Amino acid sequence: MSQLHVSAAPHIHSGNTTEKVMRDVVIAMLPAVVASVILFGIRAAAVIAACVIGAVVSELMFCKVVGKKSTVSDFSAAVTGLLLGLNLSTNVPLWQCVVGAAFAIVIAKCLFGGLGNNIVNPAIAARVFMLVSFSQVAGGSACVLTDGTTSATPLEILAPGAEEAPGLMDLFLGIHGGAVGETCVLALLIGFVYLLIRKVIRWHVPVIFVGTVFVLYLVTTGDVYYALQQILAGGLFLGAIFMATDYVTEPMNQRGRMVFALGCGLITFAIRQFCAYPEGVSFAILIMNLLTPLIEEWTDKEPLGGI
Amino acid sequence: MIFKKNISSLHVPHNKNTADSVPVFVSAPKEVVLPMNMQSGHDAEPVVAVGDHVYVGQLVAREEGRASSPIHASVSGTVTKIAPVKLAGGKEALAIHIENDGKMEKDPEMKAPTVTNLDEFLDAVRASGVVGLGGAAFPVWAKLEAVRRNEIETILVNGAECEPYITSDHRMMMDRSDLVVKGVKLMQEHMKVPKIVIAIENNKQDAIDKLTELFKDDPSVEIYPLETVYPQGAKQVLLYNVTGKVVKGGQRMAALGVLIINVSSVAKLADYIENGMPLVDRIVTVDGSAVKEPRNFIVPIGTPISHLLKEVELKSEPGKVLIGGPMLGHAITDLDSPVIKATNAILAFEEKDSVTAEPTACIRCGRCMDNCPVGLNIAGIGRAMAKKDEDERAEALTKLGLKQCIECACCSYVCPAHRPVLERNLEAKSFLRKYNAAKKEEGRK
Repeated sequence: MSQLHVSAAPHIHSGNTTEKVMRDVVIAMLPAVVASVILFGIRAAAVIAACVIGAVVSELMFCKVVGKKSTVSDFSAAVTGLLLGLNLSTNVPLWQCVVGAAFAIVIAKCLFGGLGNNIVNPAIAARVFMLVSFSQVAGGSACVLTDGTTSATPLEILAPGAEEAPGLMDLFLGIHGGAVGETCVLALLIGFVYLLIRKVIRWHVPVIFVGTVFVLYLVTTGDVYYALQQILAGGLFLGAIFMATDYVTEPMNQRGRMVFALGCGLITFAIRQFCAYPEGVSFAILIMNLLTPLIEEWTDKEPLGGI
Repeated sequence: MIFKKNISSLHVPHNKNTADSVPVFVSAPKEVVLPMNMQSGHDAEPVVAVGDHVYVGQLVAREEGRASSPIHASVSGTVTKIAPVKLAGGKEALAIHIENDGKMEKDPEMKAPTVTNLDEFLDAVRASGVVGLGGAAFPVWAKLEAVRRNEIETILVNGAECEPYITSDHRMMMDRSDLVVKGVKLMQEHMKVPKIVIAIENNKQDAIDKLTELFKDDPSVEIYPLETVYPQGAKQVLLYNVTGKVVKGGQRMAALGVLIINVSSVAKLADYIENGMPLVDRIVTVDGSAVKEPRNFIVPIGTPISHLLKEVELKSEPGKVLIGGPMLGHAITDLDSPVIKATNAILAFEEKDSVTAEPTACIRCGRCMDNCPVGLNIAGIGRAMAKKDEDERAEALTKLGLKQCIECACCSYVCPAHRPVLERNLEAKSFLRKYNAAKKEEGRK
C-alpha cells in the first residue's frame, strides 16, 4: 500500500474559494459596467479599464518588489479596480485613475499586509484620496442620454433651493449625472440579487444601510417622494451593495454587520443633510470601517451554553 | 412555536450511497484485535490469557475503573497475543488478539439476563458492553445510570446520522427495527421515563415511516423528523433543536431531564437483554470515492480494516482512508487497525479526493462564525491565540466560551480560504486544558 494521506478533519470541503467569491463580485458588478457605458459613453469604459489595469499591475509589481507570491489570481485587485472605476466620473483623467488604483492597492491594502488585513476598503480610501488631491473627481459625469450638458449630480440639485431634480424613473435607471457606476440603480440591484443567489453576501447590510437613509429622510421631511429621490440619487446603492459588504472591512459577526450598516446610514444622512458636501456614502463607510473592531467587540455574544 | 429555532444550518452533500444496502456478514477475518480502550472511559482489563480458547460473546476483558465497559470475544478461537497496538489517532493500547477458528461458536453458557427492575436492567446494560455506537463510545450504562439521581423526563434516541456517507444507524432502524422497539420498551419499563423521542433526519423517510407505524399505539413515543442539516446529530444541537433546551457550562444534560442515546446502542442493548448476546459485532458502512460498490456489513468488532476493504472492490489505491465520516473521521495510516465499537464507517477516497488545498489569507468573510452551531466568536479565538502572554491568552479564550466548541468542523468546511479553523480551535482547547490543569496543580501546592 502506498503512502496514505493524513490530515485533520474535516476531509471534505464546501469547494468554495476566495477566487470564486471574488469572481462572483466581479460578475455582480458587470451590469453596472454595462450601464455605465450606455449612460456615459465609451469614456466610462476607459475610466474603469484604467482603474482595473492600474490595480492589477500595482499588485503584481508590489508582490514582485517585496518578493511575495503574486496574489492577483484571487481577483481581489480586480474587484478593487472595478469598484474604484465605478465610483469615478468621466471627467477624471486616465492617469489619475491609474494613480488612484495604485494608491488603493499599494497604500490602502498591500502595506497593511494584503488581502484580509486592510483596515479600510481600498477603493473608498482611493476615492477619498483622489477627492482631496484632484479637483476633477468631485463632479459628476454628463449623461449622454439626456439632451442637457449639465453634469450636476442629483444630490447637488436636491440640495435646498436648487433646480428641479430628475424624476424617480430617471433616477432608478440612472439617466442623470454622477459617477459612472452609481447612477443605474437597476443594474446595481441585478448585481445585488446575483450576490444573494450566490450566497456571497446576505441581504442585511445593503437593506439596513439604504433603509436607514430612507427612514431618516421620511421622518425628517415627511415626504416619501423626496426620501425616494434621496436614496436613488448618489452612490448609496453602489456603496451599500458593493462597498459596505466588503468582508475585510465590515464586522465578521452578523449582529456587528447590522450595527455597521445602521451606522453607515446614519452618517450618510448626517453628511448629506448637515455638511457642505452633498455626498456622504464614501465617508460614512470609511468611518464605519475604522469602527469595525470596536463594533465587533461590542456585539460579541456568548456562545450557546454560556462561557 | 412560531419561531422554530434551528441552530444547525449547514447543508453538506449526503452521499448516502448505501441507504438501501442491507448489511450482510463480512467474510470471516483470520484474526480479530480487541483494544482495551474502545470505550471513552478507563481501559478494560483482560481476563483471558494467551492460549485460552474463547467463544463468541465470551467475556475477555472486564470493566475497570471509571466509565469503563467490558469487552467480549467477537469470534471463536484462540487468544494468540495480548500486546499493545497502535490505533488511529496515534494512541497506543493493550489489545487482545484472537485467532479465528471460523466456527463462530457461541458461548454455550450464554443466556439472557433476568431483568425485572431498574437495578437488574442497569446491571444488564453494564454487562452488555454496549457503548455509544454513534462514535462517542461512552458506556451506555454510565449514561443511563443518571436516572437514579435525576428526574429524567425524556430520552432522546438519536437516529439523526447527519454525517455524509454513513448509513449504519439507518440500516439498524430498517433491518432491526424489532430490536429498536424492544430497546425502547425496556427503557420505558425499567427507567419509568414518561417520554421517548426518536429523532431521525428527514432524508431517512423510510425509517421515519417504519418506526411511526411500529409505535403508532404508544403515545409516549414520538418519532421526530429532523431537517437534514449538519451537525444535526451532535448532542447539544439535537437537544436544542428538539427540546429547545441548552446545557449551560459545567451542567450535565441529565440535570435538564434529558438523556440522549444512539439508536444502534438501544438496539444492541435490547439484543443482550433478549438474547444474551453482548456487543460483539456492529454495522459498518464501507464507502468513499475509491470504493466501487459501497455496502454495509455486519462486522465482528476487532476485524482489521484491510479485511473490510478487501470485501469491496476498490477503483484504485486509496489516497486516504477514514474511520468514521468525512466531517469528523480520523485519517489512518495503518490499514491493519481494527474496527472498534464506535466505528460506524470506513471510507476510502481516491487520490484526487485526498489532497487538502493550501490555505490562503483569511478574508474575514465570517462564514466560520455564520455557520457555527453554537455561535462561537471564531475570529476572537484566533486573536486570543495570537497573544504571547499565556495568562492573557487563557483568560481571553475562557471569556470567549471556547469550551462550548462542539468540534463539528463546519468552520473549516465552509472556509473559502481553506484555513484549518477547527484545528486552531482544537489547539486552543488543548492549550486551555493544559493551562487549567497546571493552574490547579499550582493551587494544590
